[in-house]
Amino acid sequence: MIDIRDYEAMEKLSLSEAERNWVSSCAELLLKSFDELEKIEADVDPLITVLDILNIFREDVAVKKVSREEILSNAPEQYDGYIQVPKTLE
Amino acid sequence: MNRVVLEDCIMQKGIPVTAGSKILENFISPLTATVVNKLLDHGNVIVQRAKMYEFGIPNFFTDDSDEIPEAIKVVKDGVADYSLCNDLFGKYRRNAAETGCCYIHPTYGTVSRFGLIPLVSSMDQIGVVCKSIPEGLKLLSQIAGNDLEDGAMFPEKFYDYAKNKQSISVGIPESIVNKADQETQSAIKEFAEKFNSVNVDLEYFDVYKQVMMILSCAEISNNISRYDGIKFGYRASGYKGIDDLYIKTRSEGLGVETKLAAIMGAMVLSKNQYTPYYEQATKIRRLIKESLRFDAYDIIVLPCCISEDPYENLSLFALPNLVGLPCASFSYKGQGIQLIANVKNENLISTAWEVCMA
Repeated sequence: MIDIRDYEAMEKLSLSEAERNWVSSCAELLLKSFDELEKIEADVDPLITVLDILNIFREDVAVKKVSREEILSNAPEQYDGYIQVPKTLE
Repeated sequence: MNRVVLEDCIMQKGIPVTAGSKILENFISPLTATVVNKLLDHGNVIVQRAKMYEFGIPNFFTDDSDEIPEAIKVVKDGVADYSLCNDLFGKYRRNAAETGCCYIHPTYGTVSRFGLIPLVSSMDQIGVVCKSIPEGLKLLSQIAGNDLEDGAMFPEKFYDYAKNKQSISVGIPESIVNKADQETQSAIKEFAEKFNSVNVDLEYFDVYKQVMMILSCAEISNNISRYDGIKFGYRASGYKGIDDLYIKTRSEGLGVETKLAAIMGAMVLSKNQYTPYYEQATKIRRLIKESLRFDAYDIIVLPCCISEDPYENLSLFALPNLVGLPCASFSYKGQGIQLIANVKNENLISTAWEVCMA
């Protein structure tokens, strides 16, 4: 069974024992199947997006689409008009 | 006036939108998706929102083909004329065809994703569940067209899906069709007899599922990093410090399939595995695009099922997503089949559908 705990940490996750067993066994199957890719000679540029459009420009004008109140109304915790978070520096 | 159902990943201002995830519990959408505004502008009525499994990520290792998503059920049962959803991994295409509905996956970059909860940005595309392909294209023509709010779109403002072509040639990947059950093989053979048909070799088909899995997990891992319990959605209680808040929130708020996708994404993007997995998959994605020969055929026909293993079946649905092609699935002679055309050639799929249903 592969050890996935480093990847859990990267993804800010902590899996239960049952989840970890299932994810590890699936990951093992998937990685094994991914090994097929090395047999393919791919001497081409990567294709990241299928559109041939490079960039979309608009006027450089700030637009306010969502109000402060609307954003705050979705915040799990708020205080005095700000989103509240725990101390980030000790 | 059409009755339309939206799957719970398409946003409507002032309405809870969760994409089927606890992590978006209590999230009230601050905006309305472009497709919704366009639907309303054309006099359609939104009758319901459809439940979905978390972010539309299926279990890749358990056959759940008998669990029909609500977005398909509502059209099948006549509750709605259409529903809109985002089929990335083929479950909707297969289930729609197997329940007598159709699913139209439009050309990438023709329907705005503004207001669609993103999952795999280079493949996300809102599609239409409908009763017939021509009807589905009528609705699609109302919602397609350039939108400056979505940065990855073709410039056309409108698409004319009605233009016709007299004679259509179909490409049949025989080696793949032969993996389907006998009834499906017969249905595809009968379908092919109505057109000029040629045998095609879908090069790289054997690795479609791997390429699809690597690229989608990498993008899922990026896209779900926004769910951190800070600005919106679920926040765990009893955390000790900021890191604990992130970890507790995500561990409690995300389901195990999403966790698998995130962890696979972290793996294929990590320093040692980026080149053999992620970069190699992006290169093969180009090879797949360049391997298609739409000068030799107009549409490719594929079955909707070749195996009881969902991961094997993923290969059947990967091509439109990897290359941005339009595709439609439907039932023909009681068997699920799908037609794939070149970019912006939805009309050829519709013409073929009309010929075979005549």
